[in-house]
Amino acid sequence: MRISTVTMFEQGLNSLVRQQGEYLKVGQQIASGKRVVNPSDDPQAASQAVGVAQSAAVNQQYADARISTRNALSQEESVLGSVADAIASAKTLLVQAGNGTLSDADRSSLASELNGIYEALLGQANATDGNGRYLFGGYQDKSPPFVKDALTGIVSYQGDAGVVAQQVDASRQMASGDNGLQIFQTVHGSASYLARADAANAGSVTFTGPSVTDSSDAGFGTSFALVFAVAADGTTTYSTDGGTTPVPYVDGQSISVNGLSLTLEGTPADGDSIAVSAADEADPDLFRTLRNMLDALDTPLQNDADRARLQNTLSTSSRELDNALDNVLTTRASVGARLNELDVLDTVGGNRALNYEQTLSDLVDLDYNAAISEYSLRQVGLQAAQKAFVDIHQLSLFKLL
Amino acid sequence: MSIFSIGVSGLNAAQVALNTTSNNITNVYTDGYNRQTTLLGESGVGNGVQVEGVQRQFSQFVATQLNQATSNSSALDTYETQIAQIDNLLADSEAGLAPLLQSFFSSLQDLASAPSDPAARQGLIGTADTLTAQFRAFDGYLDDMQQSANGQIGDVVFQINNTAEQIAMLNREIGLAKAKAKTGEAPNSLLDQRDQLVAELSTMVDVELSIQDGGTYNISIGNGQSLVSGTRSFALEAMASSPDPSRTVVGYRDGAGNLREFGESTFTGGELGGLMTFRSETLDKTQNQLGQLAVSLAQGFNAQHAEGVDLNGDAGQDFFSIGAPTVYSNANNASGDVPFVASFSDDLSGLTASDYDVKFSATDGYSVTRRDTGETSTFAADATTLEFGGMVVTVNGTPADGDRFLVQPTRHAAGQLEKLIQDTALIAAGQAEGGTGSGDNRNALALQNLQDKALVGGVASLSQAYASMVGDVGNRTNVVQVNRQAQAGLTQQLRALQLSESGVNLDEEAANLIRFQQYYQASAKVIEVGATVLDTLLGLDA
Repeated sequence: MRISTVTMFEQGLNSLVRQQGEYLKVGQQIASGKRVVNPSDDPQAASQAVGVAQSAAVNQQYADARISTRNALSQEESVLGSVADAIASAKTLLVQAGNGTLSDADRSSLASELNGIYEALLGQANATDGNGRYLFGGYQDKSPPFVKDALTGIVSYQGDAGVVAQQVDASRQMASGDNGLQIFQTVHGSASYLARADAANAGSVTFTGPSVTDSSDAGFGTSFALVFAVAADGTTTYSTDGGTTPVPYVDGQSISVNGLSLTLEGTPADGDSIAVSAADEADPDLFRTLRNMLDALDTPLQNDADRARLQNTLSTSSRELDNALDNVLTTRASVGARLNELDVLDTVGGNRALNYEQTLSDLVDLDYNAAISEYSLRQVGLQAAQKAFVDIHQLSLFKLL
Repeated sequence: MSIFSIGVSGLNAAQVALNTTSNNITNVYTDGYNRQTTLLGESGVGNGVQVEGVQRQFSQFVATQLNQATSNSSALDTYETQIAQIDNLLADSEAGLAPLLQSFFSSLQDLASAPSDPAARQGLIGTADTLTAQFRAFDGYLDDMQQSANGQIGDVVFQINNTAEQIAMLNREIGLAKAKAKTGEAPNSLLDQRDQLVAELSTMVDVELSIQDGGTYNISIGNGQSLVSGTRSFALEAMASSPDPSRTVVGYRDGAGNLREFGESTFTGGELGGLMTFRSETLDKTQNQLGQLAVSLAQGFNAQHAEGVDLNGDAGQDFFSIGAPTVYSNANNASGDVPFVASFSDDLSGLTASDYDVKFSATDGYSVTRRDTGETSTFAADATTLEFGGMVVTVNGTPADGDRFLVQPTRHAAGQLEKLIQDTALIAAGQAEGGTGSGDNRNALALQNLQDKALVGGVASLSQAYASMVGDVGNRTNVVQVNRQAQAGLTQQLRALQLSESGVNLDEEAANLIRFQQYYQASAKVIEVGATVLDTLLGLDA
């Protein structure tokens, strides 16, 4: 075929331009470290990379959520530790207060010590995180959840029943805290039974127990009240919830109702009563328990009825403190379990992040070995094309004329 | 006949041949120049040589093939230049939409972690601002490309008209030149010019060339519409498309002087074809997909936001605002009014990235055709609302029989995406039931989880939809690049073939120079010998 001079020039030039383009492309890949710079370089990879990057970003969101959850749970853990210590100290004081040889003044000093614990607990219950948000108010994190009435001194819960949860993994929303209701006003479902003497009792009857004797009793689990009646002739009887036949009362005898047994001592007055119920139905409230103890310790003992009232309050409070401590420890254990779970999720999430990174790199990053050898190859190709171009254009018949 | 006249005829012929060779040499790099050869013939019987003509080496067959190939090449070149801009736009992995969507959702995670923290709330507002700004910037970029396509179509039409006019003029001049010339002599340079113009015209639009008896070029384009007929040329016009006035298309004046519109798919070759194909195949679709993404984000987010309560205890207000679908009344409608109000329906699963043609017939009612699939749905003529494609179109006027409308659900949506909420207290992070405290993060979590929900067309998450857009554009760019390369190879081959016939080879011409120089010298020698013979005969040198 005839070849025109223009064709020779154009073909040489086209080949130079093409080689140069390919050479620069490899150079650009090496400079950026990416195999896929534009989506058109590898549309499937570019499109997949968007998906993988999104998954990696979501994974990172979960990791961030775990950090803030861990932070919140760690704070809660340390507060719960202090709360447990405070309850244990209160229990110690309670045992001391039970010592019959103490004077009113001794009890009063115990009371002021207990008051310190009470205030400290209130402080813990109103703990805040670093940003001033209250830990135990449920969703109400802007105001103190436990507020002490200035007049009555009664502490009431102002928060709500909400439990803040965080998305710590794709299919796991974890509670990043517990509200004040759960910590200070709840007892474990299996907590023991509580007896509480009526505050208006005029007699000196005291109780020990109750303890469970027969959980298969038909009335087991049902709350009841023992109401004492003293007849004109001085015979004392008691009835449960007023309905049943009065039973004669014998000082120091153990009685059995609804599968529970209760030992009663002392002399009841007419109309005195003792209420017995499951702990979780007895409206548990750690602050009220402490308040009751404080009131009892601050009251001077003038007669047997006073002494009986103190003893009854202390034995009820003792049960309640045990229950509260159990509850706090259970909650603390659940916090610990959640912290452990976070560690596991962190490991899984970390592995996942590595996988995503690897996949993303496989999809769009450059294989330097391949790229550098390609680079050398293209360089040789380009040099050859240049040489050929120059050589061909040096050949001309006109040079020989 | 004398030896002198024979020698002289040789000298003349050699001179013509040398001229032709010189002309070839000097025009070696002239565009459109076709190599010429001198045709020699015997003059009578033993009367020396005569120049039969200077012939242009030109093959109409190869030239037509080359023009066709150039036309395709040029279309693909144009397409690639355009689509590469979108490809580059999507290449930015730092500031593209995907990372901004991610940071938007991670700011929701921050909000879920600390719902009452003003910094987290401000963070959400900030990322939402950045995200919406990027959507608008992205759409603005694509809009600029639409405008620039409009402008370029106008330019190409102008060039086509110019070229057509010149070809018509050359048709006339060539006719005149041929009439004046002696038999066999062709106006080579005019013919070269005309063929060059046809080649140039082919880079602008695909043309059909037919050659009349007598060598007049008639050129038609598109559906057979004549562009050059003999010595007349017919001007094309860049005009606003009748369904969508924001779009420039090509039209022509018919015999009655009315402006007729070419369909957008009429042109496939040349710069014009490249622009038209790019626009309808890639640009519109990308812009629609982006809009679909924006509408899905805004509607999906607003719906979930409304489920929550803000810090004031009120239900969440609209977080984003998104415009409404665009409805155009066809320019040929009886009246220019749009008798509809279109809005996005609450259920977005039907929303597509396609446009819809609505046609009204007084007898058959409305027929709505989805452009990309051709799927048609119908509504009664007295219908008050038309629901299709994730939209609710409320009829609030009276269309005339035969009226047509174009509905673009998402074309301009991304450009209208705005974040509405400024006050951080209005972010609805909580949910109504069970307390409305500032620490309530339930709705924030639900909002965060929207990133995995199939918000787009009911089948894809936002990120998946974006990924498929990236894949779409990448694939298309890739296909265009490969096609362009293949077509460029073909074009180069055909050009080499054409040049092998018509191109000048300098070595060949150098050889010719020597050859014809010797020819000249030999012819001169003939005269000299003739003179010597005569001298001898006459004894003049005695």
